[in-house]
Amino acid sequence: MQQRRELDQVYTNRKLLNGQLDTPKWWLPTVVTLGLIVMIGIAVILVMVNKGLGVTGLARPVYWGLFITTFVFWVGISHAGIMISAILRLTQAEWRRPVTRAAELLTVFSLLTALVFPLIHAGRPWRIAYWIMPYDVARGIYPNIRSPLIMDPVAIGTYLTGSTLFLYIALLPDLGNLRDRTTGWRNAMYTVLSLGWRGNPRQWKMQTVGGILLSALMLPIFVSVHSIVSWDFAIASAVEGWHSTIFAPYFVIGAVHSGVSAVVTMMALMRWLWKWDDFIRPEHFDALARLLIVVATGWLGFTFLELTFALYGQDAPEIALREMQMFQWPWNGLFILFFLTAYAIPVPMWLFKRVRTNIALMFWTSILVNIGMWLERFLIIVPGLARRTPFVYTWEAYRPSPVEWTIFIWSFAWVTFLMLLFSKFFPLVPLFEQKESQVFTDDVMIGRAKVPAIVREAD
Amino acid sequence: MASETVAAGHEATDHHAPPPQVAAEVIARELVATTIGASGRFKAWAWILGALSIAGIVALILKFIDQGDDSTKWGYVAAMVSFLLSVAGGAPMVSMAPVVAKANWVRPVTRIASIFSFAGIATVIMLIPLVAILPPLVTEGARRRTVWYIAPDYSPHFWTTLGLVLLLLTGIMLFYSAALPDFASMRDHSTGWRQRLGKRLARGWVGTDVQWRTLRMRIGMFGTFYFLILVFVNFLISTDFGQSLVPGWRDAIFPMYHTVSGFQAGVAAVVIALYFSRKYMKLEKYVHLDAFWSLGRLLFALTLLWIYFFYSSFIVFWYGRSANDIATLELLIKGPMIYAFIGGLVLMWFVPWWILIWNKVRRGTGAMVVGSFIILIGLLLDRIRTFVPAWSVPPERIHEKWLTVIPDTYWPTVFDVLIIVGGISMVAVIVMLMTRVIPVLSVWQVQEFNLLAKPIKYIKGHATLVAKPD
Repeated sequence: MQQRRELDQVYTNRKLLNGQLDTPKWWLPTVVTLGLIVMIGIAVILVMVNKGLGVTGLARPVYWGLFITTFVFWVGISHAGIMISAILRLTQAEWRRPVTRAAELLTVFSLLTALVFPLIHAGRPWRIAYWIMPYDVARGIYPNIRSPLIMDPVAIGTYLTGSTLFLYIALLPDLGNLRDRTTGWRNAMYTVLSLGWRGNPRQWKMQTVGGILLSALMLPIFVSVHSIVSWDFAIASAVEGWHSTIFAPYFVIGAVHSGVSAVVTMMALMRWLWKWDDFIRPEHFDALARLLIVVATGWLGFTFLELTFALYGQDAPEIALREMQMFQWPWNGLFILFFLTAYAIPVPMWLFKRVRTNIALMFWTSILVNIGMWLERFLIIVPGLARRTPFVYTWEAYRPSPVEWTIFIWSFAWVTFLMLLFSKFFPLVPLFEQKESQVFTDDVMIGRAKVPAIVREAD
Repeated sequence: MASETVAAGHEATDHHAPPPQVAAEVIARELVATTIGASGRFKAWAWILGALSIAGIVALILKFIDQGDDSTKWGYVAAMVSFLLSVAGGAPMVSMAPVVAKANWVRPVTRIASIFSFAGIATVIMLIPLVAILPPLVTEGARRRTVWYIAPDYSPHFWTTLGLVLLLLTGIMLFYSAALPDFASMRDHSTGWRQRLGKRLARGWVGTDVQWRTLRMRIGMFGTFYFLILVFVNFLISTDFGQSLVPGWRDAIFPMYHTVSGFQAGVAAVVIALYFSRKYMKLEKYVHLDAFWSLGRLLFALTLLWIYFFYSSFIVFWYGRSANDIATLELLIKGPMIYAFIGGLVLMWFVPWWILIWNKVRRGTGAMVVGSFIILIGLLLDRIRTFVPAWSVPPERIHEKWLTVIPDTYWPTVFDVLIIVGGISMVAVIVMLMTRVIPVLSVWQVQEFNLLAKPIKYIKGHATLVAKPD
């Protein structure tokens, strides 16, 4: 489906730069409110660092709880950017154009947020440095480079660097545009950031080649990040429910499901808040929903395999764990909620075109998916640790403390806060992509029918 | 946007040149003509491959008579079932997946991909003795670990057979549904038995709106069924005929790994078939280099996906270091199997990756076809190192918790070699014979390709304007 609209360049500039050249009325109160929540969250983090992890609900044997769940969740959300931007760019999907910037942005900010969680989870964050750098050569104490504490930051750091670069390269033409429409300190800032962008053929060529190269280079990193996170669990054969070969692709496809849904949420908000009805259209939600149906069903297949092969071993502890996960309160309630929200409610709804093109329904179903995907991570991480095991006498049921819940809420406020700040200075829909789509789309007559068409340049 | 249609007659071998525009009538006449007559070389190859296929079937029967009571000797046949399922089952997916994504380049490729459905006959033939030999779920009073937790003892035997037969039938239905307009073309553009066959199978096709709508609906329906059954059969073959025969081998990703390597092999098989059809039937005008370019990218992506799935499994075993993990690795990748393991890894990933990464290679045909052959050899080695050790575990031990004794490697006999060569030959000869029955390129898809893709002048160069109907 393609709802092509003839939009002239002046109109496109005026509409898409309305966040930077004007300030919408809702923007300041929202940013202040979010800023307050962010400050409260940071204060709570500082209190926790000062008092120690005793203020959380973490206790033997559940050492990994809400923080690690939320860490995995935000790493998952970060998969939106590359999935949407890089893969769709390489496959030349025309509908990607208004979506790419928001997706790339979500990647960068969610990775920044994700990195905070292992850090604060360590209890004394400054000691992370000891684990990374050799500090006691004399006694042969070196950092274990096979440790997740090394591999995770390396993978996420690489992904964050690449994603930022990817975002920045795609921003260059729009920065040049903003430079030419601003004065004062803003003009100075855009002049520096736009790196002398004039839009000459060589610059366009370099920008395009850079985008394609980065797309191709980022894909292996995109896959490796969540795979490495999954191996934090999968190679730990001592914890029931974790030692599974399927974890890497299972985590990656789950992350894509979660990340693309987050992009849908963000797209709906952008359309409503900035009134970009001409640019973010029902056809884009339709395309994203179709993609989500495929991704979600693939994810369901992996979930099926994960559960099947958990029972396949017919080991008593593993079966007991799954029984607890699915049939014992409160895990069974969470499990049902997880399944309903991650798949059973949204996907059947998306099968109907009326739902796929209804932006309010897409918004709420995409939120449901992310509730479900957060619960999925929680159900993977916590029950395996929480189940009573023989010969372990010091254990307590895990119940997240208010401190953990506050930090959890902080993470959402923080990402939204960063997004809104960004929107004040940079366009959330790429102007150049929008204009390019006007050139690359056309209508052709096939017999008596008018059919949408796209221009394919020779590879 | 102003677009200007470029005149026909560009050099079809130049990747950058837009495809030439050919009249629909000419396409139908020329493609139907490709089925008529066969060169001496074609006939000679058909006879040789046919003879090898028969030799393979005879060897299979003799092996069953001689070794039908010893399951440890059937690893190579199991490997062949898995290999043939991957090639013959995976290839028709090439005709489905890009269609779902509305990729125009795939249109000339769909027929040759769906012809591989018939090669599923070879898989079914190989499966028959294997089903008879596969141990039941309960041996000596103990039940082995399988996905059939409380099902009857012969569930794997029944469901795998049913699945494979259904896959064959659905594949043929998928082929037939998409071939209806071409049978009508045969009816209208050929003579003799081909015309009679076309008339009978076209079932009154005249190309009304209703017929076209029904055709597209059928393709979508059978394509979806085919995909679901293919995944199901891959799941059963990889677990019931591989994993569950080894105590302690628990690898959740293995069914997906098996499926993905099947898609990789399917694309490789399509590239090979397309290359030979294009070259020896002089189809350069219709099979553009763009199709190889796109297939090359698909193959490259699947090669990377294969190594990802392989590594995801391997690293968990390698670092898990539990008794199960160690014993499983000991069986599957050590001893004599280390050579098949390394060979499979190199030929399925490293060499094709290194070949296909180059744009220049994907823009041509020669290196692409070499890369595809290498992938198929790699797949055969990979299947051997997976299934031969699995079947070498004696039935009396398969219900144990994990492997306590690593069984000796079973080396292939002359029968096994003949079965392997015969199985591969059977696939090749079936595909060759089908090209005599129906045009190797789908006439209506090629016509539609021409209708929907118009070469245009774009700024200073050429581009293609591709219509995307809903």
